[in-house]
Amino acid sequence: MKIKIISVFFFMIAFGASFAQDTIQTQLDVITSEIQSLKKEDKTHFMLRGFAQFGLDATHDNINFNMTSFNPVLLWRQGDRFLFESELEMEFINNELDIHLGFANASYVVSKGLIVRVGKFLIPFGTFGEKFHPSWVNKFSTTPLGVGHDGIAPSADIGIEIRGGLQLGKSKLNYSIYGVNGPGIKDGTDEPEEAGMLSFENSTDNNNNKAVGSRIGFLPFANSSLEIGASGYYAMPGSEESPFEGDTLNEDLNYKEVSALLTAFDLSYVKIISPLKSIIDIKGQYSLSTVSKATYFNPEDTMRYSFTNNSSAYYAQLAFRPALADNAFLKNIELVGRYSAYTTPEGSLWESKQSQIAVGLNYWFTWRTVLKASYQITTIEKEGAPGEHSGHGGTTGNVFSLYFAVGL
Amino acid sequence: MKKIKFITCLIIAVFMASVFIQSCASSKEAIANKSGAQLWGENCIRCHNTPSPADFNDAQWKTVGLHMQVRANLTKDEAEKIVVFLQSAN
Repeated sequence: MKIKIISVFFFMIAFGASFAQDTIQTQLDVITSEIQSLKKEDKTHFMLRGFAQFGLDATHDNINFNMTSFNPVLLWRQGDRFLFESELEMEFINNELDIHLGFANASYVVSKGLIVRVGKFLIPFGTFGEKFHPSWVNKFSTTPLGVGHDGIAPSADIGIEIRGGLQLGKSKLNYSIYGVNGPGIKDGTDEPEEAGMLSFENSTDNNNNKAVGSRIGFLPFANSSLEIGASGYYAMPGSEESPFEGDTLNEDLNYKEVSALLTAFDLSYVKIISPLKSIIDIKGQYSLSTVSKATYFNPEDTMRYSFTNNSSAYYAQLAFRPALADNAFLKNIELVGRYSAYTTPEGSLWESKQSQIAVGLNYWFTWRTVLKASYQITTIEKEGAPGEHSGHGGTTGNVFSLYFAVGL
Repeated sequence: MKKIKFITCLIIAVFMASVFIQSCASSKEAIANKSGAQLWGENCIRCHNTPSPADFNDAQWKTVGLHMQVRANLTKDEAEKIVVFLQSAN
């Protein structure tokens, strides 16, 4: 009897062990299958990123909460060489949601130093528009004067681009060459006060000419701390037909021969200063727009007029952050200062001369989350077209701003 | 006014001299042998703070790396080394 009981007991143990082994094997198979599945998913990958900024502006007679931006960015990678990226720009203006397509393009890595990009992309004219405009990258809640949307240079356009980065001995070189639809020129028929101004917000081309441009960046130091860049952009912004067709008095006015040449120089220097346990960050950009002379019609006084159509904008920015300090609070503090100036053509109806000083104190919660406090003084020597070419919403005068920005 | 010009010229001269000295300091081999961690520290900071490796998983870092190769014009070697570093440290 005892022998029987012991036999049954051993049989049950053996059966149990065998069953457990089967279970473990099954679990291992599931895990292996999941790993294989993850490896397959790695070939194609989708990501939702972006940035947002909100806060308040206070002037001497008004305090206003603002939701200045919410920009979701979609990234879709196929293998190691293909990337699709797009950005939606969402703003809440006058109680309405304003949505724009910031960019949507496909890039293909052809070889080590050659990438081809097609679609709507950020124009590499200078560096601010392409690299420093996201609210969690920009150290202020506003853009410098004359930069960004409604600036003197394009921010994004539709076309084709080749670009890349190359190691040249100890130095590095990066380049971008592109052809895009290009700007139009405001002829004054819709908005007389803006006649002669370049218009970069066009989804379709107004003529058969394409705008061409390029930027070359040079990083002379082996540690990549300094980058010096030069940009050029050439366009024929006028339509083939006269905007005054049918108007016997003005139908001789035509802008098809008008040309625009834009140039920019930019500088970036970022260096860890070990003795000060700090990071110093210097940025600057100078942009110049030269549009050939043309005659415009002012419907208010029914007179024709002409002017030298040159605009310029520049900014210089300095940031100092004791990021290597031992104190946990101090290492997240950043001091920032910026000076920017913007001049539009003398004699035009949008003639303007402005300068701006901004000082700021930022606190970094994480590497992509920041609270920005700043005080901005804008001096307007001559007034331009209302709402044009200034920071968010055409804010002028002295403004205290407190904004929270996050990179998603 | 002359003093300001002199000081400006002096600052530019010192700056250019430091550029020259520093560019002579590193050998080609040293640049080729730079680690992903060093490249991460040198390149990301040119536009924004250096990202925490823990914020994304391996597949996400690969996508972000390609995105930055395009946007920031990183060389292919730089982008690949930085991604490998971030994947190993997350």
